[in-house]
Amino acid sequence: MNDSKDLETRLKIAKSKLQNKKIKDTGEKGVFLGNAFKLGTELVAAVVVGVIIGFILDNWFGTKPILIIIFFIFGSAAGILNVFKAAKRMQEK
Amino acid sequence: MATNPMHQFNVHKIGPEIKIGGIDLSFTNASLFMLFSAILILLFLLFGTKEKKIVPGKIQLISEMLYGFVAKMISDTAGKKAKPYFPFIFSLFIFILFCNMIGMLPYSFTVTSHIIVTLAFAVFIFVGVTILGFAIHGFKYLKIFVPSGVPIVLLPIIMIIEIISYLSRPISLSVRLFANMMAGHTMLKVFGGFVISLGLVAGWLPLTFSIALTGLEILVAFLQAYVFAILTCIYLNDALNLHH
Repeated sequence: MNDSKDLETRLKIAKSKLQNKKIKDTGEKGVFLGNAFKLGTELVAAVVVGVIIGFILDNWFGTKPILIIIFFIFGSAAGILNVFKAAKRMQEK
Repeated sequence: MATNPMHQFNVHKIGPEIKIGGIDLSFTNASLFMLFSAILILLFLLFGTKEKKIVPGKIQLISEMLYGFVAKMISDTAGKKAKPYFPFIFSLFIFILFCNMIGMLPYSFTVTSHIIVTLAFAVFIFVGVTILGFAIHGFKYLKIFVPSGVPIVLLPIIMIIEIISYLSRPISLSVRLFANMMAGHTMLKVFGGFVISLGLVAGWLPLTFSIALTGLEILVAFLQAYVFAILTCIYLNDALNLHH
């Protein structure tokens, strides 16, 4: 009787310890690091896409430098939007 | 040959050349390692689920943990509606994870360090999610480009920005995985080259770096597979639930 009670309390302590550790270790650190890796490329990718669209449209309409500049600016804005959205998602968690 | 850090990324043919309709379909070392990781996954999961003990053994425990990990990731990020897509995301995650991890073995080839592989994954996901969004919501899916509460004057500009942001998804998804894997493996090789060229006198310093980097690379290999899978879940969530 005494033994089983002892085991129960020990189990409880071990479980709570495990839970605390889990939240600290895998939960937070992993997610933070994953998010950090995410943000950089989000910004760059949108700029690249903007420039590519501008380049293609410029070739279509024959307005060589104008559209690529405009879409570069749009792409930068989209990149900032991407980072903004990702940061918002990070806060929600 | 061994001193060139980019040599490890060379793709070369194994066996005879196969050409169908002008497209080169030869079996390469990249295909070999993809096949290798697919077989390894199959064996691992088959052994893991063979015995189904109540108190699991090591392999069963790992495969059950993997299942639980991915199931939790999907339900956390994309909700209950995404449950039918579990097999897809699980296979995606575990395939990228195994490709990355097999790449960490010496003399092996890292499949995911080639942009064509990661871009194929990402474009497939992008097209699939877009078709799914249109199939579920019809033309209402275009609402994803129109955030609520924007003045009409600004709407055209915001829409262009949102469309570019949407189109940048496959690029950021693929470039992230490819760049991380390639940069890591190049760095490992460069430090390995330093060990040889500095010799017994000062070679110990790059050797310690090299060991530390190997640990970091294993972390990155896992993390990139995780990020790839979780972003797929987020995109799936956007397509399934359609609210900003």
